[in-house]
Amino acid sequence: MAAEKWVYMVTAQTPTNIAVIKYWGKRDEVRILPVNDSISVTLDPDHLCTVTTVAVSPSFDRDRMWLNGKEISLSGSRYQNCLREIRGRAGDVEDKEKGVKIEKKDWEKLHLHIASHNNFPTAAGLASSAAGFACLVFSLAKLMNVDEDASHLSAIARQGSGSACRSLFGGFVKWEMGSKEDGSDSVAVQLADEKHWNDLVIIIAVVSSRQKETSSTSGMRESVETSLLLQHRAKEVVPKRTLQMEEAIKNRDFASFTQLSCADSNQFHAVCLDTSPPIFYMNDTSHRIISLVEKWNRSEGTPQVAYTFDAGPNAVLIARNRKVAVQLLQGLLYYFPPKSETDMKSYVVGDNSILKEAGLDGANSVENLQPPPEIKDNIGSQDQKGEVSYFICTKPGRGPVVLPDQTQALLDPETGLPK
Amino acid sequence: MAAEKWVYMVTAQTPTNIAVIKYWGKRDEVRILPVNDSISVTLDPDHLCTVTTVAVSPAFDRDRMWLNGKEISLSGSRYQNCLREIRSRGGDVEDKEKGVKIEKKDWERLNLHIASHNNFPTAAGLASSAAGFACLVFSLAKLMNVEEDPSQLSAIARQGSGSACRSLFGGFVKWKMGSKDDGSDSVAVQLADEKHWDDLVIIIAVVSSRQKETSSTSGMRESVETSLLLQHRAKEVVPKRIVQMEEAIKNRDFASFTQLSCTDSNQFHAVCLDTSPPIFYMNDTSHRIISLVEKWNRSEGTPQVAYTFDAGPNAVLIARNRKVAVQLLQGLLYYFPPKSDTDMKSYVVGDNSILKEAGLDGENSVENLQPPPEIKDNIGTQDQKGEVSYFICTRPGRGPVVLPDQTQALLDPETGLPK
Repeated sequence: MAAEKWVYMVTAQTPTNIAVIKYWGKRDEVRILPVNDSISVTLDPDHLCTVTTVAVSPSFDRDRMWLNGKEISLSGSRYQNCLREIRGRAGDVEDKEKGVKIEKKDWEKLHLHIASHNNFPTAAGLASSAAGFACLVFSLAKLMNVDEDASHLSAIARQGSGSACRSLFGGFVKWEMGSKEDGSDSVAVQLADEKHWNDLVIIIAVVSSRQKETSSTSGMRESVETSLLLQHRAKEVVPKRTLQMEEAIKNRDFASFTQLSCADSNQFHAVCLDTSPPIFYMNDTSHRIISLVEKWNRSEGTPQVAYTFDAGPNAVLIARNRKVAVQLLQGLLYYFPPKSETDMKSYVVGDNSILKEAGLDGANSVENLQPPPEIKDNIGSQDQKGEVSYFICTKPGRGPVVLPDQTQALLDPETGLPK
Repeated sequence: MAAEKWVYMVTAQTPTNIAVIKYWGKRDEVRILPVNDSISVTLDPDHLCTVTTVAVSPAFDRDRMWLNGKEISLSGSRYQNCLREIRSRGGDVEDKEKGVKIEKKDWERLNLHIASHNNFPTAAGLASSAAGFACLVFSLAKLMNVEEDPSQLSAIARQGSGSACRSLFGGFVKWKMGSKDDGSDSVAVQLADEKHWDDLVIIIAVVSSRQKETSSTSGMRESVETSLLLQHRAKEVVPKRIVQMEEAIKNRDFASFTQLSCTDSNQFHAVCLDTSPPIFYMNDTSHRIISLVEKWNRSEGTPQVAYTFDAGPNAVLIARNRKVAVQLLQGLLYYFPPKSDTDMKSYVVGDNSILKEAGLDGENSVENLQPPPEIKDNIGTQDQKGEVSYFICTRPGRGPVVLPDQTQALLDPETGLPK
C-alpha cells in the first residue's frame, strides 16, 4: 500500500453556539466534565461557521493540521484525545471510483491532513474553539464512517473543548453534565431544532477590547479553585434554572427565556468577579448595552430582548421577533454609531438585509436616527464612536452538515495540502 | 421661658469610614439591621470629615437643618428616628455663664438647629451619609449630655445610615449584626484604635463616573430581593471572613488583611452583578486599578497594597507602609496622569507631603515617570488622562471629637442661623 497515492477527503461545516445557561467550571480537567449542565442556542452557520476538510492518504507521513491557513501542532492533549477517540470508533470505507478501500484496522496506521477555517476572526471572541472541535470530530466521523449518533460524537468533541459538544446539533441544545467518572454520559442532546422558535433574531455586538482576555480554560479553573460562590451556583442555582429554561424553550416563553438568560449571564460574570485574581470579561461598553436593554425591557412592560455575554465583552442580543430586532438595531446604532466614512455593510454583517428594514442603508442614515423614546438619556451620549467594532445579525441555526461541493474543500484533492 | 433667647451650641467633627468586610443587605429596612457583620477602617478626619454644629434655643420655632449650606428637610424617617432616639436620652444641662438650664424633660419641647458640612464633595461618592449621621448623633449626644457610650450611640446613628454606626470610633471597627428584633444589640465596637497599625497609608483614587450611581439603599434592597448568591454570602462566607479579619487586624497581618479585603470587595460587587437588574459600581478605570495592584502584589511575592471599592467607582488603596505608598503613587500617576496644566497639589490632596517623597512636586515631574518595572504593559498606555479626577492621601484616623473653638462653629452663636 506504500505506493498508493489516493487522497480521500470529506469537507464539513459546523456552527458555533452561545450558552444561555452557562458552563463555567470543571470537575475533571482531563475529560472535560463540567460542574453543572448548560444550555445553548446554535447560531446560523451561514453567518458564523467553521469549515473543515479532513483527508487521509497512505502517502501522508504524519498527522498535520492547518488552522486559518497556518500550520498548528496537534501534540496537545485535546487534539490527541479527539483523534484517539474517533480513530477508535472508525469503520470500513470503500470508494470504488477512487480506488479507496480502508478497513477498520487500517485507521490506526493512516495519517490525516486537516484544514480548518473560521469565517469570523478568532480575536473577536466568538467561540471559535467550539465550532472548531465540533467540526473536526464531525468531519472525521464522516470520513471514517463512524457509526455513532450525534450525542455520542458530542462526547468526543467535548474532550477537545467543552462547549464544542453543543455544536453537534442545531437549534437549542443541552449539555448534560453526567455523573459517571469516565464521562460517557456527559453528552449534548437536542432540546428543539432551529425551526422550533424561528421568530428569534440574534444581534451580536463585537465590542472593542483593549486588553487580552483571560482564557476560559484557565479562568474557570481559577474560579473553581478560589470562588466561594461557584459551588453554590453549581449545586443550588443552575439545576433549577436548567429545568426552567427547558420549559421556556419548549413553550416559546420569551419572558422567562429572557429572565433566565440575563440572570445566568450576570451570575457567571459575578462568579468571575468572585475569583482571585478577579476576572473582568465585560467592560463599560458591555454595561452600557445591558443598561439599554434593561431599560427598554422595563419600559415595554414585557421583555423584548434577552442578552448574554461569554468570556469576553461581546454582547449577544436575542430579540423576540424581527420587528423588535429592527428597533433594537436602530437603538444600538444610535448609541454606538460607526466611525465616519464607514460603509454600513461592513458595520452590520451577517444578515444585513435588516439594514434596509431599519432605514439604515442610505448615506448619512445614522445621523438621522432619533434617540429611542423609551430610554431616558442615562446611557450616555451619542458620541461613543468605535466602542463597537461591528454588529452581526443572525438567527438560531442548523447543526453540522457535509459540504459535498469540491470547490469548498480547503485541501487540494491531489496533494492533500492546503489550497 | 418663652422670652429667653439664649443659644446653646456644640460643634463636633466626625470621620468617615471604609468597610473592608462589606455591609450589603438588610434584614430589617426600618431599624436598618444588616444580614451580616461588617468591619471598617476609620479614615483620618484631617483629610475627610464632617463638621456639625447643633444648637438649641427656646427661640427656635421648629427643628431645622442645613447641609453644606443648603436647608434640607428633617421629615424623613431616618432623621426622625435619630432625633427621637437621642432626645429620649437627653440629660440635664447647665451652663451658668450663659444662663442656660435645661432639664431632661425639656428636650422634647425644645427645637434644634443643625448645620453640617463635609470637607469633601458629595458627588465624589465618599460615604458622606456615614460621617454625617455619626456626627449628628455624636454632637447631639454632647449637646444633650447623653450618658451613653459610643457603642450605644452607634445604635442610634445606625438608624440614620447603617455604615454611620462605624464612624463612632477611630481605628478598626466592627458593626455586629446582632440578633434581637429591636436592634439593641446591632452596634459598633472598636477592634483596635488608630495607633494600633499606623504604618498603613491610604490612597483614594476618585474616579470619574459618567453615570448616576444606584443608591446603596435601593441597590442593597434589590440585591436582597433578587440575588440568589447573597444569602449564601451572608450565612456562609462572611462569618468566617469576619473572624479571620479580626485576627489579621489584631496581628497586623498585612497579607491576610489584603487577601480578605480584596476578595470581600470583589464578592460584594459580584452580588451587585448577580442582582436584577444588575448593578455595576466599578468601571473600566476601577478594573485597571485592580489589575495594576494585583499584578504588583503577585510580582512582589507578598501583598503590598490592598484594594476595596464601595458603591461607586472610587478605589480605596491601603499600602502596607509609607515607602510602598510612595511607589504606589508613582505607579498610579504614571498610568493616570493629570490633564495638562493641572497643579499637582490639586491632583493629590489630603496628606500631599507624599508628593515630595515621590519626586512629584516639581514641574513636568509626571512626564518623567518611568513605567513601574514589575508591571508588563498589559494595563494600557499612559494616555488615559482624566480617568481619575484626583487622589486623596490619608491614613487610619481617630473617632469623633468635640471642636471647642467657636470659630469652627457653623451656626452664629447669637442667632443660631448658619454663618
